[in-house]
Amino acid sequence: MKKFIFSIIACVSFSVSAHNIAPGSSSEQSILLQGGTVHTVSSGTYPETDILMTGDTITAIGRDITAPEGTRVIDVSGQHIYPGLIAIDTTLGLIELEQARPTDDVEEVGDVTPEVVAHHAFNADSEIIPTVRYLGITHSLIVPEGDLVRGQSSLMHLDGWNWQDALQLGSLGMHVTWPRTGLNNAWWEWRTPAQQREANAEARRELQDVFTTAEAYHHARTSGNQDRIDQRWEAMRGLFSGDMKLFIHANDRRQIEEALAFNAEYGFDMVLVGGRDAWMMTDVLVENDLPVVFTSPYGLPAREDEAYDTAYATPAKLYEAGVQFAIGYAGYWDSRNLAFGAGNAVAYGLEYQQALRSITLSAAEILGVEDTLGSIQVGKQATLIVSRGDVLDHLGQDLSMMFIEGREVELTSKQKQLFEKYQERITE
Amino acid sequence: MRGKFQLAALSVLLGTFPALADQTTPVQGIHNNNPSVVALTNATIITEPGERIENATLVVQDGLIQSIERSNRAPSGARVVDATGYTVYPGFIDAYSNYGVEQPGDRPRGGRSNAPVYTNERQGGNASNAAVHAEQQWFETVTPDASEAQSYVQHGFTSVQSVRMDGIFRGRTTTLSLADKLPNDIIYNAVGHHAASFDKGSSSQQYPNSLMGSIALIRQTLSDAAWYAEAAGLNTLQGPVEFNSALDSLKSLNSERVIFEASDDLNLLRARRVFAEFSVPFTGVGSGFEYSRIDEIKAADLDLILPVNFPAAPEMGDQFSELDVSLADLRHWERAPANAAALEQAQVRFSFTMHGLDNKRDFWKNIRKAVDYGLSERQALAALTTIPAAQAGVSGQVGRISPGYRADFVVARGNLFEDGEIVSVWLQGEEQEIGNMHPVSFSGEYAMSLFDHDLSLTVSDSGRVSATLKISEDEEISVRDARVEDDKLKFLADLSALDMPGTYRFELERETVTTLAGRAQSAGGALDTIVATSTANDEESSASEQNSGDAQQPVEFVSRLTYPNVGFGRESQPEQMNLHIRNATIWTADDQGVLENADMLVRDGRIHRIGRDLSTPRGYEVIDATGMHVTPGMVDEHSHIAISQGVNEGTEAVTAEVRIGDVVNPDDIHIYRSLAGGTTVAHLLHGSANPIGGQGQAIKLRWGESAEGLKFDQTPPTIKMALGENVKQSNWGDLYTARYPQTRMGVAAIMRDYFQTAQEYTEAQEQYADLSRSERRRTAPPRTNYRLQALAEILQGERFTHVHSYVASEVLSLLTVAEDLGFRIQTFTHILEGYKVAEELAEHGAGASTFADWWAFKFEAYDAIPFNACLMMEQGVLTSINSDSRDLQRRLNTEAAKSVRYCDMDEHEALKMATIYPAMQLRIDEYVGSLTPGKHADFVIWNEHPLSAYAQPQQTWIEGRKYFDRSDDLAQRALIAEEREMLIEAVLNAGQEAHRGARGGYRQAQPEWHCNDNHDVWLEDIYHSHALEQATRELH
Repeated sequence: MKKFIFSIIACVSFSVSAHNIAPGSSSEQSILLQGGTVHTVSSGTYPETDILMTGDTITAIGRDITAPEGTRVIDVSGQHIYPGLIAIDTTLGLIELEQARPTDDVEEVGDVTPEVVAHHAFNADSEIIPTVRYLGITHSLIVPEGDLVRGQSSLMHLDGWNWQDALQLGSLGMHVTWPRTGLNNAWWEWRTPAQQREANAEARRELQDVFTTAEAYHHARTSGNQDRIDQRWEAMRGLFSGDMKLFIHANDRRQIEEALAFNAEYGFDMVLVGGRDAWMMTDVLVENDLPVVFTSPYGLPAREDEAYDTAYATPAKLYEAGVQFAIGYAGYWDSRNLAFGAGNAVAYGLEYQQALRSITLSAAEILGVEDTLGSIQVGKQATLIVSRGDVLDHLGQDLSMMFIEGREVELTSKQKQLFEKYQERITE
Repeated sequence: MRGKFQLAALSVLLGTFPALADQTTPVQGIHNNNPSVVALTNATIITEPGERIENATLVVQDGLIQSIERSNRAPSGARVVDATGYTVYPGFIDAYSNYGVEQPGDRPRGGRSNAPVYTNERQGGNASNAAVHAEQQWFETVTPDASEAQSYVQHGFTSVQSVRMDGIFRGRTTTLSLADKLPNDIIYNAVGHHAASFDKGSSSQQYPNSLMGSIALIRQTLSDAAWYAEAAGLNTLQGPVEFNSALDSLKSLNSERVIFEASDDLNLLRARRVFAEFSVPFTGVGSGFEYSRIDEIKAADLDLILPVNFPAAPEMGDQFSELDVSLADLRHWERAPANAAALEQAQVRFSFTMHGLDNKRDFWKNIRKAVDYGLSERQALAALTTIPAAQAGVSGQVGRISPGYRADFVVARGNLFEDGEIVSVWLQGEEQEIGNMHPVSFSGEYAMSLFDHDLSLTVSDSGRVSATLKISEDEEISVRDARVEDDKLKFLADLSALDMPGTYRFELERETVTTLAGRAQSAGGALDTIVATSTANDEESSASEQNSGDAQQPVEFVSRLTYPNVGFGRESQPEQMNLHIRNATIWTADDQGVLENADMLVRDGRIHRIGRDLSTPRGYEVIDATGMHVTPGMVDEHSHIAISQGVNEGTEAVTAEVRIGDVVNPDDIHIYRSLAGGTTVAHLLHGSANPIGGQGQAIKLRWGESAEGLKFDQTPPTIKMALGENVKQSNWGDLYTARYPQTRMGVAAIMRDYFQTAQEYTEAQEQYADLSRSERRRTAPPRTNYRLQALAEILQGERFTHVHSYVASEVLSLLTVAEDLGFRIQTFTHILEGYKVAEELAEHGAGASTFADWWAFKFEAYDAIPFNACLMMEQGVLTSINSDSRDLQRRLNTEAAKSVRYCDMDEHEALKMATIYPAMQLRIDEYVGSLTPGKHADFVIWNEHPLSAYAQPQQTWIEGRKYFDRSDDLAQRALIAEEREMLIEAVLNAGQEAHRGARGGYRQAQPEWHCNDNHDVWLEDIYHSHALEQATRELH
């Protein structure tokens, strides 16, 4: 009899949470988070401080804020409040299962696909997304993959009914994978050094050709000499008009140098993504004011004799040299470990405040959305997370609440639900 | 006229008649009975290494050496060749060649673009594996090939040991002369040694597709051969013994010899080990890397055939191209020429081979380079004569100049190991002139008289020929069209300046070492005789030949030699120390709990005591660990680092005979990187391509040790099994749909089938053992089957299973099979749905080793949850966290900490999931896994709470030896940078010489092996496939 009752409960509770979670609803009510430690990121950390959110905006920060009538007051004393974390360079919502091709929308056919836009394939109902929110990520720059000109990235918030709803900023940047440089000496590389050099040069020529054509197209369109639309070059006009950033994915020092030389011709608003070798050329990066999104904080050394902690220590080296940088975590389900990657950078020399900044405000600055996102400031978007402990440390991080544009977001997930379901089997 | 001209003239004569009468071939026409005695008089004869006779006469008759006349008298009737000033060496022998026999077959196109072939075409009682054709006797295919022979003869070779270089058991070598004669006349030793390698060559059969598979196949074949020797002609209790031609030809191998071709020093040692298991005499074809593990090579008591394919320098021409070049490669470039000297020093016997040389013209350049790098001339000559003769089974015929030996010898001007040149090579008493290879040089400055004028002539004929004629210091006669043809220097000059108008044609020949002689002719036919005498000081004769036999001074290297010989390698093993660690927070991972302000004593490699305020015993090193944390070294249940050439024998569904222990790779830098992350034990597992994969190997990360030295010997035997998508080949493409099983139903069925068969196998063994002695004499013993034996060990509780698994259904099914057959599953690995069947796991007594938070990489991982470990632990399942990744193995601590993050696991329990619990799963917990007195002193000193994101290992110790120290590491980085800089400079400085040598002469890097990586490591084809790089990103 007892068993019977339990199974009914199990059925009921499961059916309630059987699928992905509905987005939070925006409330007319203001919300006051009371007594937390507020990590503003922009201007210091304040213990026992309140935050007032009205609609989608932070309207007050301070001690003993008097809440307007009808405000929902939440006591968060003893807890930490951070801006929502921003994960740059993911394929969230573009892929569900790596080895199930029907679920994979990350890469279009062809080397030159500037016309594709990441958010067009964004599945707001991906089961992955709630598991990523669970670790404090509220926004992600989703990026098409590809071998040369990949397409356009979009900044999504992770609490939407559909992509239009989730879209924070579409077509934010054009993404280019910089052609290979140097030689692969591994035994599985069958091409001779000469063939490899030629292939590398060929890819560079192709890339140059793309930009030459796109530039001519842009001028022809501007001057009215081009009537027929070419989707590809039309998509790149934003670069020439200055409305779009150029994200160059490059890891090798020589790639980065080539990319800089290339950009010197055009003067695009360029961001380096990847940046594996950035640590060895910080002077060049500073000189060129080149922002870097370092996307493999746990990366293995790229070369046999490189120090074991090369990637771990890269953020610290970038910071010390004065390079503008953010930490990213290229991937999809695994990008949820972003905060721990930043924590690991602390273990290898980065100041704590800088680590936190590298996944919030610095990320927002590099994306050009620092006016609304990335820090806890009055007037900014009410996007923040509440954790019972230090968000960068496995031992501390424990989210109790997440707000995106002032909406409280449910922190459950398919994984949490399976956990709860099978807890019931134990008590059975 | 003397010297070479005479020699050359003779060869023309000799060429007109056969030196050896055809014996069984009927003569067509008139019988040829020319006089057949040749005498080389007044020669310096090196009869064998270290034996030198001056002013002697070598008498040759009918293709054999007749005598050496110290009296320097030629027998009457002999054709006399004045060899004054020449040195005669025994003809050289190459003990490893493909000359004159069938060439290897083409490699099949592999990868996943062709449907897999699982069987061999059966014919004439051959072996079931296409790479095993030991019954082949390659003398049957001997056909001389004059132009191919030239490529050897030019360098002084007169005979070779040949075999078709294809497959694993390749068949038997044959030793033959390079003379262009009937096969009957050139075969010196028809049936020679067996030849073998790890490379399956042109076999299109799937098995084996990994190095460990090749080793397992060799082991099974050798065992079968021994069994066949005993069993052939009898019946086993299960029926008659089959005829097997391959086994038949191998059955007396341990009184014969195998010649084994290995791609590097590690493979050489691996081959040596497996053949030593069956006491097979062994000659290895080396690689040039022997110096980097010289002590092991020496200890392995090896006989070697050594290529001299020194690598070209790594590409360094472009700016920052050094970013693609490892220190290991730079070091090898510098030290490869010294390999032979290192082997001589270590008293390892070796011969030289041309095999493996990209450009055969580099042969002598490289031999001389080896001598420059410290090899003695005497050993170098032995490596070309007496030693290869012995290795090729023709010691009684060639390799020496001795009466009765073949008249195979080399005539040289000068010392070949310095700057001498080969003038002619004699094959079975017939001369082959090597003149074209070594044209006469006219370079030099000469004084000459022409129509009574004194002139000076300067000639340069290196490369383009040029000449200048001068009347005085500043008056020159223009010279045109200078060239060397037919060993003559020819040019045109207008002699108007000498009051002799018109163009004169000059032709000069070398008359002596110091003089040229010839004539000038005018258009009208006027002639003048010229003698040009060298005006340069004669320095050539000072070349000392007295030092042969003495090793030269060793050259100075800028590179270091470390173990392994890569960046961050060690120059020596760390010393074992007795330690007093003071005032640390000690995470014991046992019942002592977490002790603050505690001390730990380490004695003789073991943990001696843990407590507060311990006093320091005399002679102990004190480490002040105030503010630090100490934990046991972490243990990884699932690792694929340090494995050479394939992690999967992904061919047949059951490959329980393959052993990771055969292919441990001590050169893998990830051993060091994992140490730097606090891991001390890694359980190296076969991949997950097969329901029953291969045998695992636990190692301690004793960086710098040999493959054998890394092994954690006390670990009981293990094996990898696998369930689900990988074994049913779900993600292998549409061509892979034939292998049983293709469903989880079939996985369960094949498990039951094989374990059932293993049970019957054991019963057959027991049945035989129970026979009386006389019955046993009449009965063939049961064949040892390593595949079934491994399974029988599982059934007997002597081998422990680690089962790759994901979903609940497959786990329950395997539990059912195991319980029916009466064995226990030791550990399910990955087991991402373990939380769904935790109760059943606990009841069976199976452990679970899982990923902290991996999921969504494939369908069977879609229900994975990061709460898995908590749920399993809560229900009494022994749980650990594993890496299955070179990256995660560096940070198992924070992987374990994810259970604190997700489900609030007790911190000490979380740490145990990376220490004592995996140790229990490997049944090594009596030695490692916790800081319990008596256990191995394997521990890590951390600067912070060891589960925190902020923790950084400061030191990692194994058995009281410090294998990692953060501050030493920082110092190493500076040394590496400095060494690299010096080597890069050396390459840039080496000019053209840097470009000479073998391409790809460096060690093969191993890709990052994953559980489900399955490639045929023997097919060239995989080098062409993008799939590999792709696959290295594949997940678990």
